[in-house]
Amino acid sequence: MTAEATLVEAVWGLLHRALQLYRDDPRATGRLRGELARLEQPLRVAIAGPWRSGRSTLLNAIMGEEVAPVEGADGDTFFTWYEDGERPHATAYSTGHPPQDLTVVKSATGMRVDLVGWRAGELRDIVVRWPTRALRQLTLIDTPPVTGPDEHGRAAVLDRVLRDADAVLYLTRDGRASDLRVLTAARDSATGQAAPVNMMLVLSRADEVGGGRVDALLTARQLARRMHRDPAVGALSLNVLACSGLVGLAGRLLTGSEFAALAELARVPRAELEAYLLSAERFLRGEPPARVDAAQRAALLDRLGLFGVRLATTLVRTGCDSRTKLSAELIRRSGLTELRESVSRLFIDRQETLKARSALVGLEEVLRAEPGPGSAELLGSTERILAGAHEFQELRLLATLRGAGLGFDAELAAEARRLVGGDGVGLAARLGFEHDAPAHELWQAAAEARWRWRDRADDPLLRLPQRRGAQVVVRSCEGMLATLAAGGR
Amino acid sequence: MVAGIWLDVLDEIGRTCQAYGRGDLLQTVRRKRVQLLDPTLRVLVVGEPKQGKSQLVNAIVNAPVCPVGDGATTVLPTVVGYAEAPVATVVEDPAAVRPAVGPAPASAERTPVPLDRIAAGVAGTFGRHAGGGPAYVEIGLPRDLLKAGLVLVDTPGTDEVTAIGAGVPAAALARADTVLLVSDSTRELSVAELNMLLHVTRSHPNVVVVQTRTDLVPDWRAVAERNRKHLAEAGVPAPLIPVSAALRLRAAATDDRTLNAESGFPALIARLRRDLAGKPDSLARAAVGLTARTVLEQLAAPLRAELESREAEKDSGPISRLHAAQREVDELRRCSTRWQNTLADEMTDLISDLEYDLRDRTREILRTVDEAFDSADPLTAWDTFQEWLDRSLVEAAEANREWLVQRCDWVARRVASHFARYGHDVLPPWSAVVPEHLADWLPEMERPRVDRFTATQKVMTGMKGSYGGLLMFGLALTLAGMPMINPVSIGAGALFGGKSIHDESRQLLRRRQSTVKAAVQRHVDDFFVRATRDRRDTARQVQRMLRDHFAVLTEELQEGIIRSLRSAKAAADTDAAARDQRQREIRLKMTRLAALYEQAQQLAVGRPASVPLERLT
Repeated sequence: MTAEATLVEAVWGLLHRALQLYRDDPRATGRLRGELARLEQPLRVAIAGPWRSGRSTLLNAIMGEEVAPVEGADGDTFFTWYEDGERPHATAYSTGHPPQDLTVVKSATGMRVDLVGWRAGELRDIVVRWPTRALRQLTLIDTPPVTGPDEHGRAAVLDRVLRDADAVLYLTRDGRASDLRVLTAARDSATGQAAPVNMMLVLSRADEVGGGRVDALLTARQLARRMHRDPAVGALSLNVLACSGLVGLAGRLLTGSEFAALAELARVPRAELEAYLLSAERFLRGEPPARVDAAQRAALLDRLGLFGVRLATTLVRTGCDSRTKLSAELIRRSGLTELRESVSRLFIDRQETLKARSALVGLEEVLRAEPGPGSAELLGSTERILAGAHEFQELRLLATLRGAGLGFDAELAAEARRLVGGDGVGLAARLGFEHDAPAHELWQAAAEARWRWRDRADDPLLRLPQRRGAQVVVRSCEGMLATLAAGGR
Repeated sequence: MVAGIWLDVLDEIGRTCQAYGRGDLLQTVRRKRVQLLDPTLRVLVVGEPKQGKSQLVNAIVNAPVCPVGDGATTVLPTVVGYAEAPVATVVEDPAAVRPAVGPAPASAERTPVPLDRIAAGVAGTFGRHAGGGPAYVEIGLPRDLLKAGLVLVDTPGTDEVTAIGAGVPAAALARADTVLLVSDSTRELSVAELNMLLHVTRSHPNVVVVQTRTDLVPDWRAVAERNRKHLAEAGVPAPLIPVSAALRLRAAATDDRTLNAESGFPALIARLRRDLAGKPDSLARAAVGLTARTVLEQLAAPLRAELESREAEKDSGPISRLHAAQREVDELRRCSTRWQNTLADEMTDLISDLEYDLRDRTREILRTVDEAFDSADPLTAWDTFQEWLDRSLVEAAEANREWLVQRCDWVARRVASHFARYGHDVLPPWSAVVPEHLADWLPEMERPRVDRFTATQKVMTGMKGSYGGLLMFGLALTLAGMPMINPVSIGAGALFGGKSIHDESRQLLRRRQSTVKAAVQRHVDDFFVRATRDRRDTARQVQRMLRDHFAVLTEELQEGIIRSLRSAKAAADTDAAARDQRQREIRLKMTRLAALYEQAQQLAVGRPASVPLERLT
């Protein structure tokens, strides 16, 4: 939309003015140039979460390849950046040494980075360049496990995540209170109250929910939906999704021989096979009446997990009779499709706003850290943009609507959320149409919405926050009409 | 029955608590006693959320009593015990704080729950009343294991130690005989879980880590091995039993013995049965050992603190008062030397200063007298002069005396300042007074005898002078042929006569003046001597009085200080005795506590076959 272009232009202008101001200060200049370059680069999405929450698996599932984790010899992890590149390449940034190239070993389904010779705690960042379509629009960041807040209420890893990433996928196994506490602390502490929500909560390892019954993914999805409706969670995250990284990755990497083995297993009568699928042990050690040897079974278990094997055999039995069909169904069921769609709608479509926000936060830090003549004025401009830009107003309204709400009834709140871009920032998504709806229908819907919300904005019976919220919605509608008038979508 | 030994020890501990007046600890001990005498084995199932705790309980009793599943989260603790027929009740206990041992208190609200609504009951959405207090769900099942005395308590999941059984006594950690910590096989024990274990094992003799969901993970053996290593590293003396509830339930459904064996539950149930059987003996001994440790430590802590504070107190109290009194005596001694010196010095100074002052003043008077009588004639001016002289002398004497009084006062204060630390009322209650009628003791000055120049003398002197002049000029003029007596010679004679009268009278004046000066000098000297003497006398008198006053004061002070020294000494002596006695008492008490502790520990150590079943995998 045109509005976004102006926001980015404004931020651009501010950064250049700051560069002019700090032209004698190499440190500040470096930082500002970094922010400037970041505006050009793809959106940075960090995958964060506590220990063993399935960060690397999910990253692999999104990439469709086995590239994570990059781990040291004793299992210590670093900030690993996955960027798009011409050819596979990895660079290590450490605390004491200049950047150093690392050996990348390609494997059948991905790659492995050789970290021999590095001591624990020495490495800080690893940048992996990997040619893949998934990284065209995104830079993914694999992070070390997030620990609970320390005595100052801060979590060091999460602070860095919030500083370096434009958006965050936060993984939790079961949405337990301690995870939410970390998120609350992060929201209250550091970066910008101005545009609060840039996180999505992911119930990872959804396949293990409830002991891995066949309907585990369905119930996990229900759980996610219920959490999403909870205002305490809604205030923290744009969306709550259930996703099994393991099943999703298996779907994306499923090979012909694996499918053949699964098909072979599926031929065994169901009651008979079930006895072998009772436990991982039984599946490995037992001798099912199918021509699948132990090594193959171990590989299947490794790829799919016990739940995945159960699901896949059921799927094969119920009609997924080819590798592509099974693979698509596994991906669909794993929740990966939904996750990618959500990322695309809520993060990528809004990337200009998210990047502008990161840049403004970075600029504000520089201005506050090194005050000088003219920095106060720039700080004022920064705050004016953060407070005044319509995109941020939309984000704030969205957060309020998701959290405590404004006191609108559910239907109105849902409409307001849709119109300000809570379900995606495309015109069709905002107006609740399929994305190929004709322009005149969109025009009509937008104009109607504008009139309705204009009335609400002027309604003296509503409370002031509600009228303010309605004004923001009206402004969004006007923006849409302007875009339509200019012939854009 | 073997119960005797540990029961005796526990009762002894209870009596000790009573003797120490620790009602709270006594309560704990009594509760423990009731709990240990109760033949049922209360098993508390704790752990982080979503680890399969409820499923574990279900699998142990082989019935879906506790709701399991993704949405279902245990909100209320669930107590599963024996009943003839399946029954479920929500129990609300407004008076939850009181020890709810034995039958539930009458005030507890019991609401029967239909069996198909148990899930709602456990989720806390059924059968509860507003303000009903902490609630829990009681479920009764006809099972042999439960009939034997096993009670399972399923708790809401938490990763915080303090939250275990918080608010609901039915799920309180203190009432549990065995604690099962549930952690699933998909990952190793987390830091929070290890912390929880450390906390629980500190107060609990019988903790088992149950690793659930072995069916889900192929490498659960490796996870179990690593978990055991973590436990050993953290120093948690808890065995680890891997189980699979899914397999067990399946085995129960299909009556498959091998599957049941594979589920790992036989080991867990054997462990629970052994605990149940061993409760009156080995388990109780261990529990008593731990109780003894916590209770006795709490009893010993104040004693130890008292002992330490007494050590520290040595420097305060009577002993320090004694030291202070001794310091006081020394100080007084120094003070008395100081004030005596000050008094003597000041008085010497005073006397010499006064003398000098008096001399100065009299000199001034004499100088004035000299100047006055250089020109004045004592004959005419004497009366005025005498009056002036008397006044001047009286003034000088008064001023000098005044000064003396002031100086005396000052000296008294100066000396008194040495006694400042003993109080302010140490100045002598008198002050030197200037005697009135000073003039009285002034020496009477008689008028000096002075020679008057009488008329006869004047004639005689004039005659004598004129004779010479007459003769001189008469004789000279006779040579010029003039008679001896001629006008010139007569004129010269008159001139000479007048001159000699004049000379004579001046000479007489000189003589009178010097006579008077000498007389005045004598008089003033006289005055000076008398006055000086008077001053010396006064000063000495004052000195004596001051000395007497301060000597008496010093004596009084000394007496007081000595008295306090004596009392301090006596107090210190008795205090030392008392302290020694108290210390002996404390040590004795500590020794007794230590003996009791030792006895309790002997119980725990002496329990037969303490660790054989630990590694059943």
